[in-house]
Amino acid sequence: MDFKSFRKKSPWILHYNTGSCNGCDIEILACLSPKYDVERFGILNRGNPKQSDILLVTGPVTKRAKERLLRLYFEMPEPKVVVAVGACACSGGVFRHMYNVENGVDKVIPVDVYVPGCAARPEAIIDGLIKALEILKSKGKDLELPSWCKADVKPPVNRAKLLNSCLEEFHGCRRD
Amino acid sequence: MEKIVYSLFLVPWVLALAVFLLPGARFHRLRQLITFLSLPALSFLTYLVWNGHLPLQIETPRWLNLAFTVYDYGLLLYFLYQGIKFRDFLVTVLALFQLFLLTWILLIMPESSVPDFYVDRLSAFMFLIVSTVGTLICIYATKYMEQENLERENRFVAILLWFLGVMNLAVSVNNIEWFFALFETTTLASYILIRFRWDEVSIKNALRALWMNQIGGIAILLGLLFGIKYYSFTHFTQFLSLSGKPAIVMIPLGFLAVSALVKGAQMPFHRWLLGAMVAPTPVSAILHSATMVKIAPYLILRLSPVIKGTLLAKLLIITTGFVFVGAGLLALTQENFKKILAYSTISLLGLMMLTASMGSSMAILASLTLILFHAVVKALLFMEAGVMEKLFKAKYIEDIRRLVERAPITVAFTSIGFMSMTIVPYGIFVSKWMAIEEASNFLSHGAYVGSIIFMATGGVILALLYFKVIGVMTRKRGEFLKFQLEKVPFAYLFSTVPLVLFVIVGSIFIAKLLCLSVNPVVEAVIGTPAPIIAKGLTLITPVSELYGWQIIGAFVLLLIVPILAYFVHFTGTDRVYEYTCGEKLELNIGTYNFFCIQVVEPFVETAAVALFILTLVLGGGLV
Amino acid sequence: MSYWTAFILTLFSPVIGGFIYGLERIVRARMQGRVGPPLLQPFYDFFKLMDKRSIIIHSFHAFMGVMYLIGTWFALFVLLSGGDLLIAIFFHVLSLAFLVVGGFSVRSPYSVIGAMRELLHMVAYEPLYVLSATALYLVTGTFQVSGILHSEHVPLIYLPLLFIAVLFSLPAILKKSPFDTAEAHQEIIGGPEIEYSGKFYEAVYTAKWIEYVYAFFFIFLFAGGNHILGALLIIFAFFFFNLLDNVTARVNFRQMVAFHWYILIPLAVTNLMLIALWRS
Repeated sequence: MDFKSFRKKSPWILHYNTGSCNGCDIEILACLSPKYDVERFGILNRGNPKQSDILLVTGPVTKRAKERLLRLYFEMPEPKVVVAVGACACSGGVFRHMYNVENGVDKVIPVDVYVPGCAARPEAIIDGLIKALEILKSKGKDLELPSWCKADVKPPVNRAKLLNSCLEEFHGCRRD
Repeated sequence: MEKIVYSLFLVPWVLALAVFLLPGARFHRLRQLITFLSLPALSFLTYLVWNGHLPLQIETPRWLNLAFTVYDYGLLLYFLYQGIKFRDFLVTVLALFQLFLLTWILLIMPESSVPDFYVDRLSAFMFLIVSTVGTLICIYATKYMEQENLERENRFVAILLWFLGVMNLAVSVNNIEWFFALFETTTLASYILIRFRWDEVSIKNALRALWMNQIGGIAILLGLLFGIKYYSFTHFTQFLSLSGKPAIVMIPLGFLAVSALVKGAQMPFHRWLLGAMVAPTPVSAILHSATMVKIAPYLILRLSPVIKGTLLAKLLIITTGFVFVGAGLLALTQENFKKILAYSTISLLGLMMLTASMGSSMAILASLTLILFHAVVKALLFMEAGVMEKLFKAKYIEDIRRLVERAPITVAFTSIGFMSMTIVPYGIFVSKWMAIEEASNFLSHGAYVGSIIFMATGGVILALLYFKVIGVMTRKRGEFLKFQLEKVPFAYLFSTVPLVLFVIVGSIFIAKLLCLSVNPVVEAVIGTPAPIIAKGLTLITPVSELYGWQIIGAFVLLLIVPILAYFVHFTGTDRVYEYTCGEKLELNIGTYNFFCIQVVEPFVETAAVALFILTLVLGGGLV
Repeated sequence: MSYWTAFILTLFSPVIGGFIYGLERIVRARMQGRVGPPLLQPFYDFFKLMDKRSIIIHSFHAFMGVMYLIGTWFALFVLLSGGDLLIAIFFHVLSLAFLVVGGFSVRSPYSVIGAMRELLHMVAYEPLYVLSATALYLVTGTFQVSGILHSEHVPLIYLPLLFIAVLFSLPAILKKSPFDTAEAHQEIIGGPEIEYSGKFYEAVYTAKWIEYVYAFFFIFLFAGGNHILGALLIIFAFFFFNLLDNVTARVNFRQMVAFHWYILIPLAVTNLMLIALWRS
């Protein structure tokens, strides 16, 4: 039986703020409110990476947030998609090239859908989510890695070790 | 037949003497062998008694009566000496008071031709527990003391074996004066065992156990005194002849019941049993399971045909039911593993006495089932507590965190012990179930409504407690992959594995066990057997049925867990770390200790004192 | 009820429970002025979870989730097969034990807190269930579920206070607001179920649907032999607890236990005493 078509019908989201001004977060929550009501599409805000399919990231990814973002990303089971919500998450926005930011989510983890706007409008977010669902349907169940991470993995994956080796590469040295 | 009964008392004493006379490290193996001999010897003798012609009444020569009187005086003078030696006011005064009462009783004691030994199925039932569970604890103790103090091992094991003989004797005497002597002998035995380590705390707790149990002794003496005054009764069987007669004077029965409450460590007299945990663990095991505290439900069971339906029985139900819940609540606040076990013993003793005082055949059946399974399970749990203490240095809940990584066998046995006190197919659950269903038949009186509430709430509080402990033990790190079975010394396995097997097999064949073994005891206690039928594994009670497939199903569910835990590892699946909101944290999980419940402790104890006095004054008819 | 009906009903209980859950999500959405997901949404979730890559903390934890499903399923069969009501209640405890031990077995603070609160849920509602079994016995004269279902009496008439008490403790069993401390999605993110994912989460998710069937069948027993009234009671209970879920905020666990012990249990006991007085 092919279960792929059900992926579109019940996407559960995890929402993570990597140092945003809260504007986009409010808009995301507005999507759940009666006016926009994304639960029509079966979308639930689980708040738990282990049971989520879509990672909604807002904010420009501050240096302190990037390790946490990576941890959360590895905790999510495949297939999964990442949606960068807002100008900051797409490119760094007004914070671009500041000393404490990473200039967008795609510098840390692979991003599938970019939702622009400052702040992104709920309609745009819903649109982005629908696009993300198409991508989710076409994805496989293989492990996804950030492009910069060259860790050599064989299934079954021990994600704690994977995270450590990725971080080592990221920082150039091992950090505990 | 009489010789067999006598040898049930004498064989443990002879073995104890043999062990005592072989001191030092050289004879360790020999002592172990002698201790081991007690198991087949006592079991065989019990088997003979069980299959013999019961009830058995034994006439004794007159010199034995004199000997017991002399022994009584010697014992009380020893207590007096201990009180003066350690400058303990209570012990001294209570010993003096007992001497006074004893002298008074001896002056007015009527001549009676009633046999002084009365061995019925209830006694045989207690022999059964003592001679299997008790001797297994003695075997365990040889190994335990080897790891603790080899020099004093002979003394320790000898006292334990002697204690078994005393216990056997105590449950088969008919003369209440003799019963008093043996009651106080068990007090003496517990006193010696608790102070065994001879440090300050041990002596303090031993003295506390001494004076509290002396109060029980005084209650027996007062009961005997009033019994002689009102009826000139000196024997249990004479009291039993009162059953069913209207308007009986309850004072002697009230005092005897109070002595049972004291011996059974019911609140407010629970502190002596808690204090017993300072002694080596086999002491706790033997006090909590086979001997000592089991005198309490034994005494209530003896009296239950007489007190059935009286105000005394109803007040006993309320008092012991309150202790069942209250001790469970206080157990939640404890951190020490042995203290948790001690409180749960107090709690379950409350339930045993509650069902015993209800007095109907089903309730008695429930009470006996509880006594049997509780003895086995508590012995098992205390032995495992000793194993944890000796092999893994774990005494507190904090220490047993993640124990399953180091000691899967110990954790499995302990979990079986804990689960058998709450979860569905095990023997203790079955007796709780029968008790609840029996209590619903009597709902017309307030005390019985109370008993339902107590049973419903007390059981679930204990479940909360046990699952908390099981949860702490079975926690395991994600990185930990494969269980390595620990090496447990053979003596420990030899003494615990039979108990585990009995708990499981006895629970599967609970219907047969109840019909064939426990029901004759019920018949001996109140005259009519409980109306239960065993059909295969199915247990049919008057109002309901416990199906065999339910028992089997529950066991399959429960047994899958350890089997799968050992064999199934999902090796093909990804591993991940715990969710911590993305933070990298050193995870150090504590336990919730319910310190908020500590505020109720004074209230619980005050209420227990009030109920205790109420039982004595109203139930005993002192007004 | 014969064994075969019970077996088939038990076998399809996840489907029934799934529909109840789907309906609940719609009703909840409508009560909040939203449209809500389609009725089949729980099944979409079910099939989606089937397709996820599973990641686990350790194997013991993972199969405890599966054991929770099997245990709940078995408990439901014990209830439906017409056996003893008390035993069915205690089988429910057994199935919860798997969830709790699973929750305790990982070193996740949320999971451990959740498991502890799950036990407190049990402390809160379990006495009430034992009392209602006793009360049903007093009215119908039997502890057997099949006997209660064929009784001429309607227990609801004799046990109105007890029924109210059970109705108010329904959220505690199904972990709905105001008594959802064990799951508390905003606070401890699902409690004992937090570390499950993929197929193992699916087991826990399905077990929750079976619990719906379990709880509502218990309500059904209050109608005795009158099965139409029973169906009405279930519908009433369903809307009532959804309303309660929507209009109340979460209380903390002390308030929950206090509410059950100081208000609902005395209510039940009052009912028991009244009926015992009336009978004698």
